[in-house]
Amino acid sequence: MVNIMDTNEEECVKEEVTLDVEAETNPRVEESDSSEDEVAPLNTVGDVPLKWYKDEEHIGYDITGKKIKKQARKDMLDSFLAGVDNSKNWRKIYDEYNDEEVELTKQETRLIRRLLKGKTPHAEVDPYTPYVDWFLWEDAKHPLSNAPEPKRRFIPSKWENKKVVELVRAIRRGDIKIDKPKEESCLYLLWGDDSRSADKAPGINYIPAPKPKLAGHEESYNPSVEYIPTKEEVDSYNQMYEEDRPKFIPRRFESLRNVPAYENAMKESFNRCLDLYLCPRSRKKRINIDPESLKPKLPSRKDLKPYPSKCYFEYKGHKNAVRSISVHTSGQWLASGSNDGTVRIWEIETGRCIRIWEVGEGVQCVAWNPMTGLTILAVAVGLDVLLLDTGLGDDEEQDKIKKLLHVEATTVANDSDHNGSLVDWLQHDKYKGIRMRFCKTITSVEWHRKGDYFSTVMPGDSRGILIHLLSKKLTQKFSFKQHGIPVATKFHPSRSYVFIATNKAVRVYDLLKQKLIRKLEPSVREVSSIAVHPSGDHVIVGSREGKLCWFDMDLSSQPYRKLECHPKDITNVAFHRSYPLFASCSEDSTSYVFHGMVYSDLNQNPLIVPLQILRGHAATNGRGVLDCTFHPRQPWLFTAGSDSVVKLYCH
Amino acid sequence: MDPYDGYGEETRRVQVRFTTKLQSPLRVPPTSIAIPSNLTRKGLSVIVNNLLKAVNSDWEPRPFDFLVDDELIRMSLEDFLLAKGISAEKILEIEYIKAVAPRKQESPCLHDDWVSAISGLESSSSLCVATASKDRTLRLWKFDSEVPIGHPAKVRAYKTLKGHKSSVQSIAAHPSGMFRSWDSTINLWRTNESDADGDLTSIKKRKVDNDTRESQSEGEALYSFVGHTQCVSSVVWKQEEAIYSASWDHSIRRWDVGTGKDSFNLFCGKALNCLDVGGEGSALIAAGGSDSVLRIWDPRNPGSLAPVFQFSSHSSWISACKWHDHSWFHLISASYDGKVMLWDLRTAWPVAVIDSHKDKVLCVDWWKGDSVISGGADAKLCISSEVSISSY
Repeated sequence: MVNIMDTNEEECVKEEVTLDVEAETNPRVEESDSSEDEVAPLNTVGDVPLKWYKDEEHIGYDITGKKIKKQARKDMLDSFLAGVDNSKNWRKIYDEYNDEEVELTKQETRLIRRLLKGKTPHAEVDPYTPYVDWFLWEDAKHPLSNAPEPKRRFIPSKWENKKVVELVRAIRRGDIKIDKPKEESCLYLLWGDDSRSADKAPGINYIPAPKPKLAGHEESYNPSVEYIPTKEEVDSYNQMYEEDRPKFIPRRFESLRNVPAYENAMKESFNRCLDLYLCPRSRKKRINIDPESLKPKLPSRKDLKPYPSKCYFEYKGHKNAVRSISVHTSGQWLASGSNDGTVRIWEIETGRCIRIWEVGEGVQCVAWNPMTGLTILAVAVGLDVLLLDTGLGDDEEQDKIKKLLHVEATTVANDSDHNGSLVDWLQHDKYKGIRMRFCKTITSVEWHRKGDYFSTVMPGDSRGILIHLLSKKLTQKFSFKQHGIPVATKFHPSRSYVFIATNKAVRVYDLLKQKLIRKLEPSVREVSSIAVHPSGDHVIVGSREGKLCWFDMDLSSQPYRKLECHPKDITNVAFHRSYPLFASCSEDSTSYVFHGMVYSDLNQNPLIVPLQILRGHAATNGRGVLDCTFHPRQPWLFTAGSDSVVKLYCH
Repeated sequence: MDPYDGYGEETRRVQVRFTTKLQSPLRVPPTSIAIPSNLTRKGLSVIVNNLLKAVNSDWEPRPFDFLVDDELIRMSLEDFLLAKGISAEKILEIEYIKAVAPRKQESPCLHDDWVSAISGLESSSSLCVATASKDRTLRLWKFDSEVPIGHPAKVRAYKTLKGHKSSVQSIAAHPSGMFRSWDSTINLWRTNESDADGDLTSIKKRKVDNDTRESQSEGEALYSFVGHTQCVSSVVWKQEEAIYSASWDHSIRRWDVGTGKDSFNLFCGKALNCLDVGGEGSALIAAGGSDSVLRIWDPRNPGSLAPVFQFSSHSSWISACKWHDHSWFHLISASYDGKVMLWDLRTAWPVAVIDSHKDKVLCVDWWKGDSVISGGADAKLCISSEVSISSY
């Protein structure tokens, strides 16, 4: 018997397991049964004897707490009549508890019938299933054994012991590595910021309440005397605005028993409710970035000295707005042309006006010949360009200039025949110079670096750019088709290129090879001025809407950098010849000076740093600064204003 | 005249003793006295005048200036002691000197045009004047010194020196003259006629053939000092062997007359307009340029090229500066802001400001040791006299 049980032990265990599984599954079945009963009862009086309500008009309370009125009782006759009328009346049962008549369904009546007969209520249950004998009855009268527990159940297993020893050895040898339990640090930040809710409540949008200030000594119920305000202080608190008033005024109590309830408790909880009510249930992610770190790293202005910063000098004398200025290459003379119809030459160092020419009309442009020895000034006045001998320079140079500025009558005739009505080269009688007669107004004159060629711009003409040769008194049309209205021309400082700025774009042509090299697209509304870096690889373009575009010729046809500095039109832009400086002047009567360092290393982009805003000119007739130019050798800037003053800004 | 008027009992008092290097009628007894510490220069001056009056009953009061540790007092005594960290417990030695300020303003001489250069040479029997001109030539003029100053003298140019490629800006004479030019060179000239004894220098890039003009003799450039990269604005020749020049290329150079090499080179970062050498041992270089700061260098300081003094009370370019001939401490400067300022090296504030010009002041010089003459763009020659400078 004992043996049998021993051998069958495992099977018994299996059985138990299967039974357990059934026991686990059964409650679910019961649950599904009981769910039928879970139709909420109408009456909510609970399980009380109904005779308590015998004399009441109501039978109980419904789920909302209202009284359930008793229905009128049917008398015997009524119920009889109802039974005659309705053949199904026998199915109705009066429910005393809920005071209503319930009609039984067919299934329910069937159930009741089976119960009355003493059968199992559900027809599908088979009470006579064949018996399966799970136990082994071999040589035993009872299915279970009552043999005493064997000894081996009380002694440790030898096999397990061997296994453990094996494992221990393996651990000692290091074949098995056990992770050491992580030591939780016993230190933690007691008052630390616990607003990091992410690790606290994952998934839930947990917003921690703001942390209150730690209680101090003054909030004690019996603080030291020095914390308690005097009467005057309390009075002064009362006169303050409510927002400025201190939130807590220390008071003193004899004992903790005397401390009253917190008087603001109600108010504060109401306010808290208001806050919660109005609190938007969306979380704003705030990025914690230092705004300073977003600024580009620019060198300090102090390291970029010298640059023009202060006005030390004014050249006064013109009667009307000064339209154009030009500095001689030697850096000694300054020429200025004004709307009052005069051209003046100033000595830069002393501010003395050396010479004045009356030319009659408002001067559009003045330009010195860039050769040091040839002190010839080109002046654009109305339809004329005058080439004036300034009388500076020694005798030898004077002779040369006189020869250059002499026009023979015969050549004039030939030229006029040849060119038609393009340009007439005439001798100016009054000022011993050359007068060139054009058909339209000239706005700009630009000399080539060798001082022999110069170009003029007629914005009114579709072919408004002409190139002239001073030594042969020749005029040539610019042989390319022009797109848009020409604004200015610049010669490349070392190659035979010419930059033509129209009001939309800047085009670079090679004069020797007669072809278009590049087209620069500033994508501004209207180009007003252009300047070429002394290296020739960089161009700045000023626009009528106040934008300044820096082009790197090696990079692309789009601007490398666009600077929006002026609120009004930019009138002129200029590069310094030797210092890494450039400037722009505008109708808003300010000039800006920038540091524009160009590196010979092709990988390094130019460094542009705004340096100084130069103010000082007064706006006259709605116009501001009309021209600006740098001194050729010093880091000085000349600006010509509509207030008829030329200013010199020094470092 | 009582300096103690208006001072309450609670003002602190300092024990002082007045000393001086002045001669006997100006000496006060060397006893120490207690004075209120909030006195300024004016109050101290009143005290000294009172002390002198106690000695000499018919004493005319005059202003004095006061030195503590070789520094002029320009604030109240208490502030001065606090600023310098001098203890007020000991007896303070205060040295007094005659206050330096022009006391008289002569009526200005009117000219037809700008007065752009001026010279306050002591007149001797006969004088040679060299002028530089924008027409690239130098002219030597001779006139009789009996003609009173302030009246235009009819003089005739007797000599023309040509050689500069560009206009001549400055002229300096050792016993005679030299000049600067826009073509960034300095030329040294010798007048080969016997009636003009001495050397002339000018500034030039290279020698050019000189054209002889009728009735005018010609000079020839002896040396050209080449080194400046931009226009040379000012030349000074005070010592026999050294010429100093300042240029718009931001440098000051010292040229050795014998060899024609530059022996000293100093960069200051600003274009320079004027230069003078003087002061202690005739070694300090004062220069002003295209900003409002008058700088003074000491080339004897080894290794350091930082200016030893910087005076920045002007508000525009400095057009001229001149050391006093005898005093080590005093110099004047003229500026385009229309002011002439008199400086003492012992204080950072101007000792006197002469504000008589309406427009740019272009030139300034000392005259007869005690007057300041200045000319400006308002075509006026102003003379401020009776500047009492005691020589050391």
